[in-house]
Amino acid sequence: MRGLRAWFWRLGSLFGKERHEEEFAQEMQAHVEMHIADNLRAGMSGQEARRQALLKLGGVEATKEIYREQRGLPVLETFLQDLRYATRTLRKNPGFTTIAVLTLALGIGANTAIFSMVNALLLHPYNFPELDRLVRVWENRGIDEGADTRFIAPQDAADLSSGAPVFDALTTYACGDFNLSAEGNVQPARGCRVSANFFDVLGVSPASGRAFSLTEEQPGADQVAVVSYGFWQRQFAGDAALLGKVIQMNGKRYTVVGIMPRGFDYPVPMELWVPLALSPAEKADRAKLSLESLARLKPGIDVAEARSAADSVAKRLQQEYPATNANRRTEVLQLRRELYLYTLPLFLLLQAAAVFVLLLACANLANLLFARIFGRQKEIALRTALGAGRWRLARLFVTETLLLSCIAGGVAIAVSFWSVRVLRTSIAPSWTMWVPGWDGIQVDCTVLAFTVLLIGTVGLLFGLGTVLHSNQAQPYNTLKEAGRGPMLGSKGRLRSALVVAQVMFALVLLVCAGLTTQAFLRLVDVYQGFAAANVLRTEVRLPEKSYPGNSQVANFYDRVLRGSASLPGANAATVVTNSPASNVDNETTFFTIKGRATLKANESPSGDLQISSPDYFSVLRIPVVAGRVYSYADNANAARVAVISRSMAGRYWPSGDELGQQIKIGAADSKEPWLTIVGIVEDVRQNWWNPASRPTIYEPFFQAPQRSMVFLMRVSSNPESYASAVRDVVRGIDDQIALTGIGTLEREITDSIAIIRIMGVLMALFGCVALALSSVGVYGVLAESVARRIPEIGVRLALGAEPRDVMRLVFGQALKLTGIGLAIGVPIAFAVNRAMSSLIFGIVSINLLLLAGFALLLFGVALAAAYIPARRAMRVDPMAALRYE
Amino acid sequence: MAEKKDVWQGTLALMVLKTLDTLGPLHGYGIARRIEQTSGDLLAVNYGTLYPALLKLEQEGYIRSEWGVSDNNRKAKYYKLTRAGRKQLEREARDWEKTTSILARFLAPGEETS
Repeated sequence: MRGLRAWFWRLGSLFGKERHEEEFAQEMQAHVEMHIADNLRAGMSGQEARRQALLKLGGVEATKEIYREQRGLPVLETFLQDLRYATRTLRKNPGFTTIAVLTLALGIGANTAIFSMVNALLLHPYNFPELDRLVRVWENRGIDEGADTRFIAPQDAADLSSGAPVFDALTTYACGDFNLSAEGNVQPARGCRVSANFFDVLGVSPASGRAFSLTEEQPGADQVAVVSYGFWQRQFAGDAALLGKVIQMNGKRYTVVGIMPRGFDYPVPMELWVPLALSPAEKADRAKLSLESLARLKPGIDVAEARSAADSVAKRLQQEYPATNANRRTEVLQLRRELYLYTLPLFLLLQAAAVFVLLLACANLANLLFARIFGRQKEIALRTALGAGRWRLARLFVTETLLLSCIAGGVAIAVSFWSVRVLRTSIAPSWTMWVPGWDGIQVDCTVLAFTVLLIGTVGLLFGLGTVLHSNQAQPYNTLKEAGRGPMLGSKGRLRSALVVAQVMFALVLLVCAGLTTQAFLRLVDVYQGFAAANVLRTEVRLPEKSYPGNSQVANFYDRVLRGSASLPGANAATVVTNSPASNVDNETTFFTIKGRATLKANESPSGDLQISSPDYFSVLRIPVVAGRVYSYADNANAARVAVISRSMAGRYWPSGDELGQQIKIGAADSKEPWLTIVGIVEDVRQNWWNPASRPTIYEPFFQAPQRSMVFLMRVSSNPESYASAVRDVVRGIDDQIALTGIGTLEREITDSIAIIRIMGVLMALFGCVALALSSVGVYGVLAESVARRIPEIGVRLALGAEPRDVMRLVFGQALKLTGIGLAIGVPIAFAVNRAMSSLIFGIVSINLLLLAGFALLLFGVALAAAYIPARRAMRVDPMAALRYE
Repeated sequence: MAEKKDVWQGTLALMVLKTLDTLGPLHGYGIARRIEQTSGDLLAVNYGTLYPALLKLEQEGYIRSEWGVSDNNRKAKYYKLTRAGRKQLEREARDWEKTTSILARFLAPGEETS
């Protein structure tokens, strides 16, 4: 307590220092006068009285010093003094300060921006309480290799919930589009049918109203809905009386019972939720993986334990229900990590690249600072000679570098508010809305704390580095050599080493940039086997209520296809279950080949199933390899047929006798009809992450109609302009049907790899920054070394060296530094390349030509940076140079 | 160096507090004289060292200072014990007595018979 009180007093004493000084002087004065008076009374002479009084008092200045230290806070005072001094020196060297601040700001800013992404997407993707206890649970049938489907069969989910004691609760849901009718219009809405405990498991309750009750899980009682905050604002203009109102969706009436808090849209980007009401038969289903599932782990249970518990349930089910569950495993994955299986390495790599940029910036700054120390050696020597201790000098330097990094950090933070927003909005919302946490990319407290930590670390490290470096300054020698320039030696080598490191970092960053760009171009290229240009694409979903049977569905799509194909400029139109580049995997299915005995379900061959109308192959220009594709004549009344992909034919009919063979969907005992293979088409890559095209079966849509389809239309040019015409066609048939995601197929492809694109852009940016920084570094070292060698150059010139030889000397040094940097950098670049290609899909070995190009580029930049110092060296006047000696 | 000063300042503070307790409000010179007189020649220190100690005591709230006029009409700064200072004095004095009595017993020759 007393200590604190005294501390405040002392803090307060930092102000009004002169008044305090004066008061103390008065007090001393009074003291001396009283003492003299006493001495005089004791009979001393005037002079002696004064002498004795002063002797007794002791050294006045020393007393004052001690008194001053007791009065104020010396540490703080010297800090303020140092700060003033640092500000003055920085202001006196605007060139140095600007370059240092910009360099550091670049490094810190890059890290702030990338960290804001890492923070939002990896550290805080969801805002659920105890996020680490939430896991996604799904089943793997053993046939989904390479596919990324995370579904579970309803009965299996129920068994898992009751049979594995690791879950607090397990919930299931099924998402899809809803057609919302409002004021005569139909709009698509993203909705999800969820179990009653869905919101409980997530730990989020409605901001107003209520969640679902168990009774609402019964078919017939399920016409209630909970809407998201965003949907409430957008669709209902924030209507305060929305609760209890009835909305019309998919031809049914739903009463709104709850509004979720702002920001809740799980699973992203849902707008509304209705109860998942399954019939007893649906609930008992084990065959079809129709639901998604999410569970909250019991406290203290970790994912590994949950996984083994789920595994034992899965094993039991395998034995009890071999017909459906053979080979079926259960997967458990933390919700936080689920969505980042593919993107986590991307962000870690970006963060690593940003750290690289910072290191480069630091190397540059170190070079600048060391150059300055040599310039200030005389000052340091003088300070040391006048009694400044190491500690005192160290504090001075640390204050200076801290000030520098704080200014740079301030600039970086100010810019990052803008740059982070640019980063966030640089990818189409239609893609980012599927990325949980994307909207949370911003400079928040965590990001600021990170940046401040970075600023402090950088400032302190540099200060300490400078201190260690300056400690070798010998006041005697330095002052003695005052006439000459400062002598270097080991320090010159250190600075050269820094430049070598810069060249190395620059090469590695350039290689990273090259690799990601290469990957992006390759991924765009992945979608081969079809022509994406001039294709319009949209999704259609028919509600079950108004389209209960196959004939109604087929009839609707038939009319849509005829209507749109007859639009002027339209070449052909088709519908398909899953268009390429949708970022959704195809449905995977078992199939049985007639005449080949298979014993168990799990031994059946498997493949992707696509259902399309006849013109699919002509719309996407997928080449026919053999036989024919189906036509409109292959309708519900005709014999069932199928077309298979080339890789499927090659895998199951290596002898090439597939045409005319019969297959059926499902295992040997399935009730599905036999399909005759009538043709083979070229492989199509479905999504960029599929390592290869998977065997695919195409079934004619009019023999197996589906309610949800993707509509594709090839036109002669300008596909976007057909959007409204297609909308009109659909409205003319049924004004209750909404079209979602209308746009061009090309756009869909670029959007599907947007994250790789932005990463390529960022990497390229980092690479350019690295190049610029390392050229500044090379320039700095050479300029400094030329300045130092002016006497030597003078001697050389005086002894008859040509200016060309001098120039060669400087360029030679530049080439040497760059060469060493590259020699170290190339193996590191290869190692980074190997690490990246194992982490990130789509990255392959670096093109050697590209690597050589980068090396040449770095040499070129180094030579360009050496040009000014070289010219200066050539123009050295031997007489002037020697006069300095 | 620092340690020695602390010990000295600790005892010096106690002496200052005791002086002010005994004599009432007093200026720095008076305190110095009093301490010197009481201790005889044993404590021949510079008067100057007293002032940082006074400042420290004031910062800690044990004494208060105000400008006043001395006996011979000189302007001088007078120090006065506060209530907290009085308590501190009692505490310190007690501690000091305890320490000295322990030390005394410890150093007393040949009394460790039983």
